[in-house]
Amino acid sequence: MSDFAIGLASNIGMLAFVALSAYLLLISGSISFGQQAYFGLGAYGAGIATALWDWPLMVALGFGALVGGLGGGLVGLLTRKLHGLYFAIATLAFAEMTRIALDLWHYQRMVGGERVGPDGPNGFNGIRRAFEDGWDPAAFMILIWTLLAVTLLALLLFERSRAGVTLRATGEDPVLTRLLGTDVARLRVRTAAVAGAIAGLGGGLYAHLNTYIEPRLFDIMLGVHALAYGLIGGLGTALGPLIGVLIDIGILESTSLFQGWRMIAFGGLVAVLLIWRPRGLLDEPTVRRLRALFARPARHA
Amino acid sequence: MMADVLQTLLNGLAAGAAYALLGVGFTLMFGVMRRLNLSYGATLMFGGYLGALLMAKAGDALPGGLLTVFGAVVTVAGATLAGLYVERLCFAPLRDRSGVAAMVSSFAVWMQIEALASLLLPQHTNPYPAPLDLAPLHLGALTLRAEHLLTFAVAALLAIFLHRLLSASRFGLALRTLSDSAAAAQAVGIDARRTTLLAFLLASALGGVGAWLVLVADQQVTPMFGMWSTAKGLIAMMLGGLGSIPGAVIGGLLLGLVEATGQALFGPQVRELIAYGLLFVVLVVRPGGIFGRATIDLDAAARERL
Repeated sequence: MSDFAIGLASNIGMLAFVALSAYLLLISGSISFGQQAYFGLGAYGAGIATALWDWPLMVALGFGALVGGLGGGLVGLLTRKLHGLYFAIATLAFAEMTRIALDLWHYQRMVGGERVGPDGPNGFNGIRRAFEDGWDPAAFMILIWTLLAVTLLALLLFERSRAGVTLRATGEDPVLTRLLGTDVARLRVRTAAVAGAIAGLGGGLYAHLNTYIEPRLFDIMLGVHALAYGLIGGLGTALGPLIGVLIDIGILESTSLFQGWRMIAFGGLVAVLLIWRPRGLLDEPTVRRLRALFARPARHA
Repeated sequence: MMADVLQTLLNGLAAGAAYALLGVGFTLMFGVMRRLNLSYGATLMFGGYLGALLMAKAGDALPGGLLTVFGAVVTVAGATLAGLYVERLCFAPLRDRSGVAAMVSSFAVWMQIEALASLLLPQHTNPYPAPLDLAPLHLGALTLRAEHLLTFAVAALLAIFLHRLLSASRFGLALRTLSDSAAAAQAVGIDARRTTLLAFLLASALGGVGAWLVLVADQQVTPMFGMWSTAKGLIAMMLGGLGSIPGAVIGGLLLGLVEATGQALFGPQVRELIAYGLLFVVLVVRPGGIFGRATIDLDAAARERL
């Protein structure tokens, strides 16, 4: 694979984490404009763990996911009673608070003769653990996609489970789900925590691939994209958000066709899709039809 | 010392008057549609960019005072035009669907408008000429910048105009009916689509004036202005309680006071942190706003359905 293809595949994989994070909340009926915050928290957490505390890469990635999960869980706990746009605005407010707080945060140490660590708006330099440990870009891309595949598989299995069905039911009608005996508030908190952890894992990978992060990267536009990926690709299956990322990065960004106009094309695509297919390309009826299509030969055999 | 405190509060009120205008714009749109237009700030930024661009082009051809007026007209017209686009694309086609879909759609269009604006003016900082070379007003130990005086005056005039429009015109009556009850509006034959569109354009124009006041005081416009004005308007509206126009005015003034105090105590960056923190805390503690009713209780809703 060429360097360009490896970079592209890595970017798609990392963005898929934050897209899956937003997707998980979407199917539970909550719109979050703030998943970029947990992506950022995971990036800072994992980066600090390797660059300042000298933790092994894998442990640090887990720590990033934990930080993201704690952030998501905390916000989920505080906002468990908020609905629709109230929840959306609260997540937006929290994400911007996080970004500004990271802008104000300085935590630096001398490591190997240079100052390393978060330096407010100047960003966080020198997260080189992955490359010091001998991961070349191709190997790191495989790592990203392996972790993504595991996450995707877990989500796909979860959606087939009883808990997954309950989660979708909450999204359809929280009052009815409550009537049927589900503790919707607790479910919301847990979903927010898991979604935060998924974003945090992606953030840790992002920090180690780029070796440099800054608060500005985790701004509202990342959140809009994360949300849009699921809405474009479809809310019927966890593969939907991945398709959304492929359309944006794979087609719009990688081809020079839309140079300078990418955001305009992408924003327009989302707006038109919301009119034409409000739950994305792979929406629930489509997924059911596809599933029936693949299930039929098996049944006759 | 006392004068410093008063000066801080006065500056806060001046900023708050502009926030109140943005909050009222948000509230007008929310009132008639029960929908949140997140690209509001981006449409205002588009107006500001168009104003900056055309003022730079017209530059020497127009005398100072006329240039100011020209900039104001272009900014308001640009914001209204962008508002029209947003209403047609995000809100009119999604009328009968969940409010969240329209909100997300307006978020996506935000990207479009911001990208378009930066194609118009690619630099990060763009001068927004404001040849209002007026001396500040001295009131005892206090000074009032000419731009702030202008903000107070324009905001007050607009408040009076809006109050008259809403309470004493046919359009205002239709708008208020639609806000109170869509069913009642339909029963008495109010054209909801037309009223919504007009309210949307009115809100965009009001926001355009608010944006102009801010840009004249700042003398520049940056790509941050979209996010900035969406945030300020949103916070002003949510503080006062979703859907209440007096609430948005009070929310805007309150936000201005809190921010000015925060900045005086902790510096400009903490000021932004405090603004978002205030929004988050109000949403968590009193989602209906400081003056509004509290949250929707799922258990109560379930019992009601039984």
